[in-house]
Amino acid sequence: MTDGAVYALETRGLSREFGGFFAVNSVNFRLARNSMHAVIGPNGAGKTTLFNLLTKYLPPSAGTILHDGHDVTRLSMPAMAKRSVVRSFQISAVFAGLTVRENIELALLPEHGLAWNLLGRISRHRGVLDRADALLGRFGLSEYAETMAGSLSYGRKRVLELATTLALEPKVLLLDEPMAGLGHEDIGRVTQLIREAGRDRTVLLVEHNMNVVAELADTITVMVRGEVLAEGSYAEVSSRADVMAAYTGQAHA
Amino acid sequence: MTTILGVPSAVLYGQLLLGLINGAFYAMLSLGLAVIFGMMNIVNFAHGAQYMMGAMGAWFLLNYLGIGYWWALILAPLAVGAIGIVIEMLLLRRLYKLDHLYGMLLTFGLALMVQGMFSDWFGSSGQPYSIPQALMGGNHLGFMFLPNYRAWVIAASVVICLGTWYVVERTKLGAYLRAATENPMLVQAFGIRVPRMITLTYGAGVALAALAGVLAAPIYQVSPLMGADLLIVVFAVVVIGGMGSIMGSILTGFLVGIIEGLTKAFYPEASTTVVFVVMAVVLLIRPAGLFGSKPEAAQGQPQSSLSVPAPSARTQNLIFLTVAACLAAAPIVVYPGFMMKAMIFALFACAFNLVAGYGRLVSFGHAMFLGSAGYVCGHVAKTWGLPPELAILAGTATAAMLGFVSGWLAIRRSGIYFAMVTLAFAQMVYFVALQAPFTGGEDGLQAIPRGMLFGLIDLSRPANLYTFVLAIFLGGFFLIMRLVGSPFGRVLKAISDHDARAQSLGFDTSRYKLVAFTLSAALAGLAGSTKAIVSQIASLTDVHWSMSGEVLLMTFLGGVGTLYGPLVGAFIVVAMQNYLAAFGQWVTVIHGLIFVVCVLAFRRGIVGELIEFWHRRRRAPAATQTVLRKVAVATKE
Repeated sequence: MTDGAVYALETRGLSREFGGFFAVNSVNFRLARNSMHAVIGPNGAGKTTLFNLLTKYLPPSAGTILHDGHDVTRLSMPAMAKRSVVRSFQISAVFAGLTVRENIELALLPEHGLAWNLLGRISRHRGVLDRADALLGRFGLSEYAETMAGSLSYGRKRVLELATTLALEPKVLLLDEPMAGLGHEDIGRVTQLIREAGRDRTVLLVEHNMNVVAELADTITVMVRGEVLAEGSYAEVSSRADVMAAYTGQAHA
Repeated sequence: MTTILGVPSAVLYGQLLLGLINGAFYAMLSLGLAVIFGMMNIVNFAHGAQYMMGAMGAWFLLNYLGIGYWWALILAPLAVGAIGIVIEMLLLRRLYKLDHLYGMLLTFGLALMVQGMFSDWFGSSGQPYSIPQALMGGNHLGFMFLPNYRAWVIAASVVICLGTWYVVERTKLGAYLRAATENPMLVQAFGIRVPRMITLTYGAGVALAALAGVLAAPIYQVSPLMGADLLIVVFAVVVIGGMGSIMGSILTGFLVGIIEGLTKAFYPEASTTVVFVVMAVVLLIRPAGLFGSKPEAAQGQPQSSLSVPAPSARTQNLIFLTVAACLAAAPIVVYPGFMMKAMIFALFACAFNLVAGYGRLVSFGHAMFLGSAGYVCGHVAKTWGLPPELAILAGTATAAMLGFVSGWLAIRRSGIYFAMVTLAFAQMVYFVALQAPFTGGEDGLQAIPRGMLFGLIDLSRPANLYTFVLAIFLGGFFLIMRLVGSPFGRVLKAISDHDARAQSLGFDTSRYKLVAFTLSAALAGLAGSTKAIVSQIASLTDVHWSMSGEVLLMTFLGGVGTLYGPLVGAFIVVAMQNYLAAFGQWVTVIHGLIFVVCVLAFRRGIVGELIEFWHRRRRAPAATQTVLRKVAVATKE
């Protein structure tokens, strides 16, 4: 560590190759603790690949990933969750065959020591039920508690996914395009939820909606062609000519 | 006479030649599977039956119409290919948006129907088909004798394989095919009629299988089941090679054939199982297969899952007690032998449903647990003379261990590959049972003693035996009910909905799958052990792939993923076997037909459809429906 700081997540020379094409090319990326950090860039810039590498959804071709200063390059996705690093998915990931309440209860099982309970009943565990009730209320899902998650509207699935993720109380929250496919009213609501979630934890989001990014993020990383082009506040990044050029498709100087 | 590593060189070359011939058929069949899978995402389980139809076609042409080999080589594939086109247009077309497993189930049903019909018309014994005049005789090559017909088969298969490879990889038509595989909408937008192309591809793949069948006719016996066993080996070949590449399929086919030939020369006892051992090794070190590249994640949505929440624990217990009371009282009106058989199969189906319904791990090899447990239980009771409770425990433990090992390997793949891997392992167990010294081979174990349970209860008394079977069934069923309703069951369902999401929430999904699979195997083993004590027989029927098919049938007919579906399905299937036994092979045809109908129109099964039906009515205000609704909803979990 050059400056002695320890980051929530840090990558060194991180690369991912797909048949000769480097979607992520030797990226050094730092996610400061308790920051609200957005990664942006035009289509095909490698944002989602970087995200999938950070969340262990994909193994890297080269480079290392550090979490709180520890090398976590080889850890699995569940192992990351146990280290309190939890991700969401771009295409809304709810468990369609479970009810809304069952979805949330699921996320609460490990901390109540129930993840490997083979014969008991969740309904006998007051702690889980109460926390699920609280989360349902906080995210405005109470009236849908007994609805099958698969039959929720798209916006509510998003909210449910966020609620399930936050049920784990993760220290680091990684959100893959949380606004993708959402209508206008839902965007306002989800933005508010993310802002609240970010008060006491680190948040990294990959997002296309610039209004949301401007509103939420304190730090922005711009990726182009698998590499980091710029980093800084929204004002800093948006005033740079090369960033504008990358977005408008012109070769930057 | 020269020897190589202790084996006479003539034997070695002879076995190598046989291996090469077998490899030629593996290559041609796995090639056809790869072409069909690449285009349609369907594992064509009817491939073996279509291969058989090619050989049968040649036999019919010769014996009824006097049309010889060379014309059969053209006419039989054309006819079978045409049937394939009709199948695609009428049936398969409806499945493209569904989970790939439905395609596999539907074609499995078709295979059963075709094989059943041919067995009825033709008898199941083989018929010879003579080598054409022009290819009789052979040549001495100095180191071995090479029959002309075998040389011709190898040459022809190489030409067929390379020709297919050339068409798919090097021509404009092939480019369209590959493009349509990647993005059918886009290719359609270019003005190419993709649906017609898919139809013709399936027809061509099927014709290829039939062509292989005609080539095989003079070498192997022509019989209705000639394709069924071959297909399982071909599935193992597909798992070894991966279905991603055409050339990969060809090379793996020949390679596996040669490995088999070498094993036959050096260690003949292992020749039938070596393919499956190779498969296990490949799964360990390179799970995607030697040439595999195609990602498995892109699967359709499961359509079978219910959109009804689970009922309360109280309602569930009430229903369980009602069912228990009915089963206890049943012998008053129903023949107890039938009830015991049905309960044993129901436990088997419920165990299968634990992984297939709640974990979406559809195993095509569950017979290995039923059968192996039966053998071990029978052996322990008969040869070692141990009491029934210990014999059943030994059988159940064996199945659990087998489940742990095969599951540990199989869960590295998902969906259709999981189905093929489990099928292949089960076939390996079948061959072991056929050859092992303690299984009695073709005869099986006879006259297994029922003994004294805990040294107190005489199981040879009918009332005791019935109570014993009832207790085992209810115990097993209650355990499954608790498992499904437990936090573990919740996690399992979540994993089957969205594996990656469950991982991201911190659940080590492979471990859950393995535990579920092992439990399922143990419970299937409990059913198999009990079956051995009750029927006093352990035989090859219980380890055969058709038994794995039957448990699939019971579960899908009754309702996969519903608690009581497998019970209902098992009773129906066992009743069909009892009362339709006079129809012989037509029972198999009916089984196949049920598969086809279930997949096309009835994917939730009987219990699942009932639950959905009542749940829809629930929304309509009707006070009198309250009781009915409660019952319906509660039968599922």
